[in-house]
Amino acid sequence: MIYGDKNLGVIVQNITGRQGTFHTELMNAYAREVGGRGVVAGVAPGKAGREVHGVPVYNTVREALAEHDATASVVFVPAGAAGDAVMEAAHAGIELAVVITEHIPVHDAMSAIAYAKLHDCTVIGPNCPGLLSPGECKLGIMPAHLARRGNVGVVSRSGTLTYEVVDELTRAGIGQSTVVGIGGDPVIGQTFVDVLARFDEDPHTKAVVVIGEVGGNLEEEGVRSTDLPVVTYIAGVSAPPEKRMGHAGAIIEGGEGDARSKVSRLRALEIPVASRPSEIPKLIREVL
Amino acid sequence: MIRAPEEVTPHLPDLGDGVVLKAQVDVGGRGKAGGVLFADAKTAAETARELFSREIKGVPVKEILAEERLPIEHEYYVSITVDRSSRQPVVLFADAGGVEIEKMAEEDESAVRRVIVSPLLRDIPPFLMRELLGGAPKELAPVINSLYHVFQGKDAMLAEINPLVTTARGVYAADAKLIVDDNALARQGITVNRDLSEREREAEKHGFSYVELDGSIGVIGNGAGLTMSTLDLIEFYNGRAANFLDVGGGADQERVMHAVRLVASMPGVNVIVVNLLGGITRCDEVAKGIIAAGVAPTVIVRMAGTNEEEGRRLLAECGYRMLESMDAAVKAAMEVSP
Repeated sequence: MIYGDKNLGVIVQNITGRQGTFHTELMNAYAREVGGRGVVAGVAPGKAGREVHGVPVYNTVREALAEHDATASVVFVPAGAAGDAVMEAAHAGIELAVVITEHIPVHDAMSAIAYAKLHDCTVIGPNCPGLLSPGECKLGIMPAHLARRGNVGVVSRSGTLTYEVVDELTRAGIGQSTVVGIGGDPVIGQTFVDVLARFDEDPHTKAVVVIGEVGGNLEEEGVRSTDLPVVTYIAGVSAPPEKRMGHAGAIIEGGEGDARSKVSRLRALEIPVASRPSEIPKLIREVL
Repeated sequence: MIRAPEEVTPHLPDLGDGVVLKAQVDVGGRGKAGGVLFADAKTAAETARELFSREIKGVPVKEILAEERLPIEHEYYVSITVDRSSRQPVVLFADAGGVEIEKMAEEDESAVRRVIVSPLLRDIPPFLMRELLGGAPKELAPVINSLYHVFQGKDAMLAEINPLVTTARGVYAADAKLIVDDNALARQGITVNRDLSEREREAEKHGFSYVELDGSIGVIGNGAGLTMSTLDLIEFYNGRAANFLDVGGGADQERVMHAVRLVASMPGVNVIVVNLLGGITRCDEVAKGIIAAGVAPTVIVRMAGTNEEEGRRLLAECGYRMLESMDAAVKAAMEVSP
C-alpha cells in the first residue's frame, strides 16, 4: 500500500451525485470486507444533514473534517467546479485528493494541482479510476473483485485497460500491492515518476507494471527514476498521428509521444515491453 | 481579409508598396508549403489569384489575409504551452523566428530558452522574463506578457507568435496561433464548426469517441486505453481495424445498440469485436443491445462485469459468440476477416 491502508479515513465530495452515491456504497462495501474505515463523511453544498448509504453529508469539507477524522477525499464534482473542489479540500487539510471527474479544463487542473501542492495535498487524477490496495483500501471506482493482494504494483494512465491487466495478473496467480490509475489527461497530479517513487519506498512492492499510452514522454521519465524491476505496456502502437483516441492526453503532437517511439526508447533502456496485455504476467515472472 | 483576388485592390493604398498575402488555412508550416506570397501594389491581385488557385498541404485556399510588408529588423519566436512534466505553463523563446522550433531545438538546444511559470501567477514575473529574453530587446516583454494573459484567459493549450518581429516602428506579431482546450470550449463560448461525416455526427450525438480507420474489423470498447489496446491487438495478429469507438462509461442496452449499428454501417466491415470490461458493466444489458441492433456483420463479444452468465446465455440463444479474453475475441474476428 502506498497512499494509505485500512485506517485511512475518506470523504467523498459531491456524495449526493449519481456517481458519488453509487461508488460510496461500493467503497464502503469493500471497507467492510477488509475491515477498513472507508468513507466516513460526504460533502455536497446545501445538502448538510442528509445521509447517503448511512454516511452523513456536510456543506463543506471544513465542516466534515470538524466532525470526522479523515485525510483523503474522492472527488466526483462535475468538471466546471472540480478544480475548486480540490482547492477546498487542500485548504481544509485533506492530504490526498483522488479526482475521478473527467473533462476538467487543463487550466483548472494546473491551478488546482499547484494550489494543492502549497497545502501539502497530493492529487491523483483528474480523469482517473483512483487507487486500490487489495486487502487495505479502495479510493475511486476500480472493480475490486478483479484484484488480489500481492507484491506487484500497477500504475496506469487508463481505466478499463488497468482492470484488464489486473485481471490478467490475478488469473496468472500474481497479486498486486497497489493499483493506481493516474488519469488520461495532459495535466495530472501524480505522474509515473511520483507513483514509482512511492513504490520504491514500499516494502510490499517487488516489481511494477507501468501501463502507458500515446502522448507525452512521462512513461520513460518514470521508468528511468525507479530502482524496482519494471514491465511496461504502451497502448496505441496502431494509432495514427494527430487523431485523438479518446483521452485528451492521448494525442501525438508534432511527432512526439507516439507509442512506437516510446516502445523503442523503453527497449533501448532494456526495459521489457509487453506486446499485448496477456504477455504481462510472463514478463513479470521473469523480472521477479 | 479577402475572398477573391480583385478584393485586394481597394486596400492597396493602405498596404503600401510591399504586400504580404497569407493563405488562411488550418495547417502548420504554411510558409514553407507555399501559403505565403510577397507582392507589390502592381502584382498583388495577380499574386492573390495564384494563391487562391493553390492547395496548401491539401487544403484549398478560400480566404487570404493581405498585410503590409513590414520592414523587419529581427525575428523572434515565442510560445506558451502546457508542460506535462511540471504540470505548469512553459514559455519558449528563441532569438530566431519564422522557422520550425522543433528543428531549432534539436540542432542547438541553447537556441531555445524555456521558463516554467506557476499557474497561480497573473503575470510572468520580471526575473523569469529576464531569463527568457537573455539579450533580446526589453520591448518584447509586454508582448510576451500579453500572450501569457491570452494563454490563461482563453484556456489555451498553445499560444504562439512566430515570428515576433521588431521594426523601426515597434514590435509586431507577424503570425500567431492559438489552440484552445477542448474541455473549455463551452465556457469560452466557442462552437466548433467541423466537417463531420454522417457517421461522425451520429457518434457525437451519442457521446462516443469515434475515429475511422481503413480496415475491415470493427471495434467497440469501453475506455480509451482498452479500446486502443484492442486495435493494437488486431494489428499484432496482422489484422486491420476499421475504427476506434469508445462507448464511454455506463454501456447500457441502448448505447451498445447504437454503437453496433454505427460500426456496422461502415462500408467494408464484416466483423465487429465488442470488448467491454468493468465492474459495473451489466453483461445482460450489453447482450440485449447487441441483439436489438440485429446487424449483418458477425459480432464477437468479450465482456466481463455483472450478470455475465445471463449475458452469455442471451447471446448464445441468438447465435452470437462470447469469448473469455481479448486475444480469443480478436483471433476469432481474424477468422471471419483475415
